[in-house]
Amino acid sequence: MISFRNVCKSFGPKRVLTDVSFDIADGEVFFIIGASGVGKSVLIKQLVGLLRPDAGDILLDGDEVSRFDEEAMYAVRKKCAMVFQHSTLFDSLTCLENVALPLRKHRGLGPREALVAARERLSQVHMQEFGDRYPAELGDGMKKRVAIARALTLDPRYVLFDEPTTSLDLVSARRVDKLIRELADRLGVTCIVVSHDLNSIFGIATRIAMLYKGQVRLLGTPADFRGTTDEIIQQFIQGRAQGPMET
Amino acid sequence: MSKMFSPIIAAREGLFSLAGTLGKMGIIAHQIGRRLFRLDFDHEEFWRNMYKMGVKSLPIVALTALFTGATMVVQAAPIVQRYGAQQLLGWGAGFGILREVGPVLTALMISGRVGANNTAELGTMTVTEQIDALRALAIDPIAFLIVPRFVAIVLTLFLSTLYADAVALIGAAYAGQALVGVDPSTFYNGLTSGYMGIADVTNGLIKSIIFGIAMGLASCHFGLAVSGGAPGVGRAVNATVVASAAGIFVVDYFVSFILG
Amino acid sequence: MSVDANVETTSALPSEGGLAASVGRAVFEAIDSASQIYGVLVRTLYYVARARIDRDAVIRQMYEIGNRSVFLLSVVIGFIGMIFVLQAGLQMQRVIPDLTMLGASFLELLVRDLAPSIVALMLATRVGAGIAAEIGSMVVTEQVDALRMCGADPVDYLVKPRFLASLIMTTMLTLWSGAVSVGSGMVTAEVIFQVSPRTFWNLHLVHASDLATGLTKCIAYGAAIPIVSSHCGLSTFGGSEGVGSATTRAVVQSSLAVIVLNFIISSAAFIAFK
Repeated sequence: MISFRNVCKSFGPKRVLTDVSFDIADGEVFFIIGASGVGKSVLIKQLVGLLRPDAGDILLDGDEVSRFDEEAMYAVRKKCAMVFQHSTLFDSLTCLENVALPLRKHRGLGPREALVAARERLSQVHMQEFGDRYPAELGDGMKKRVAIARALTLDPRYVLFDEPTTSLDLVSARRVDKLIRELADRLGVTCIVVSHDLNSIFGIATRIAMLYKGQVRLLGTPADFRGTTDEIIQQFIQGRAQGPMET
Repeated sequence: MSKMFSPIIAAREGLFSLAGTLGKMGIIAHQIGRRLFRLDFDHEEFWRNMYKMGVKSLPIVALTALFTGATMVVQAAPIVQRYGAQQLLGWGAGFGILREVGPVLTALMISGRVGANNTAELGTMTVTEQIDALRALAIDPIAFLIVPRFVAIVLTLFLSTLYADAVALIGAAYAGQALVGVDPSTFYNGLTSGYMGIADVTNGLIKSIIFGIAMGLASCHFGLAVSGGAPGVGRAVNATVVASAAGIFVVDYFVSFILG
Repeated sequence: MSVDANVETTSALPSEGGLAASVGRAVFEAIDSASQIYGVLVRTLYYVARARIDRDAVIRQMYEIGNRSVFLLSVVIGFIGMIFVLQAGLQMQRVIPDLTMLGASFLELLVRDLAPSIVALMLATRVGAGIAAEIGSMVVTEQVDALRMCGADPVDYLVKPRFLASLIMTTMLTLWSGAVSVGSGMVTAEVIFQVSPRTFWNLHLVHASDLATGLTKCIAYGAAIPIVSSHCGLSTFGGSEGVGSATTRAVVQSSLAVIVLNFIISSAAFIAFK
């Protein structure tokens, strides 16, 4: 259970989030959508303490994580993993070493055992034959799969995806969607996805929150979004250039 | 705000930013110190960096030392010939190499090869969010990345100085033979005669450790403080080499003065 | 003469092998890059002699190289003056208790070696890194290719102004730095060893040959630094990480060039003026 309560965040004079509140239930595939630069990534980075809210509370399983210091945050991050927008694999490490790193650090495995376990993890995302490659040698879709494998190594209960399908070709994008849906359905992992990819949104979302001008414009199921009469939301989900939406 | 260039305003701003940078370096030093004290750092990353920084710098350090040692003799040669002081050549060159030229030039080369490279790497990791990715994996970036690199930089500089001292003395001895006609054995006698003491060696090595600490802090600080994409990385690299170079000479004076 | 900008690294040697192989590879790479650097130098000189010189570009580079290095150089060279006088004084006290020649030897060494070499080492760091980073980012963002498409040789357009500016400013900065370090050395001698400025300012040991050596060094360093770092910048490949590695390569190679040139010129001067 994750709750955002009246979260505010500014960067200098720019007010990004003015007052955001909503709850995410366990086992959901919850989408946070909105135009570029509206603060979607900022919102989820606050959940794992990569950024701090200026005001408001963020609760994770009843803990006020927005009040935690960096050391206390490490426990949160172990159960709440994150897949970055650009995959952000460590480019000095091979794919296998990337996946092995959290195992080595947190599971107390030796370097060799960690590599064996990491190979197992990579095969789950069908990347086992690329384990010895460096990230720079791989395409975006492959990097994304390694990044997902790395995020899942510690068996987190929550996984945050920051624009997982942006910059992927359509086939890779649908594969990532399928993987996210399976995570929720088979393992009961709560997935929070930041996206503006309409195919993903209406393909796999359980519920959706749309951010607009620093606030939640609408919270509901995909059906709610299709049926709304709100012109701004209709413009966004139909991808029209003309309309009332301000950039 | 006035767009006119005013030296007073420039000096004030320069002073403020210098104080800010030194303060942030102090914070990093404290964070590094705490983890070092608990021996909380990644050993694999340490050895990887030790190889990349230390072993791979050996050729450039050797080449620098060889030519520097030889140049020292060339500079001392007119004095040797003026006074016919053949037996003093080893002392003069050895003293200069061990106390000043060895540690300083090695530090300058290591700053260019290792310090700058380290800033570029950390800077790239910062702008591509790899530091945040570490934090998101519940891995402490200071313990995992910074402490191993800092320790590797300090050790690399110390060991390189030791090595450079030896190579520079050899270079000096043979340059002395070729250019001034001083036999290498006379050179080594001059080196070990009463004028030189163990203090001359330790003095230079103590300096190299302090240079290493200053360089490591500057390099890690500017790498982590990068903002603004690839051009930001370039600016950070430039800031590191400039800060290290100025730092080396300023520290050198005070250490020389204190150690006498 | 070939005027196409063929400065990409062309070494296609195997990357595996034993110690001998790696030493051999290093030697080949060194020869390879030395010949490329020589090529850049020749082409720069060709354009200096044959093509129109863009005064504004040269002046802009003089500002970049000169004015923006003055502060760093003043700090560094000021401390060098203090360090040298301190160390030399302490040593002279051990051997000959008479310090009247302290200033004379300091000035001799300053003119012949210290001022030009230290200035050049600092410029190799600051200016070398700057030039490589600037040209390197132009290479990776394909601006250099755009230049070639306009029929402008990057060497003429990018390297020549930096080369001329560096020649002038290295000499200027050396003069300025010499003055600063004489000042700081004089104060140190007075405060620590009670050598009066009048005794310190002793030009007996500074000969015309020393002056000639110092000036030769200025010109050689001033030419080498922009050429070596421009070559590093022009041979950048592979995105923003490439720019980073080109920058560090420029710092290392131009510092090394200064050190090697120092040895060559010093020994040549020693043999010539014996």
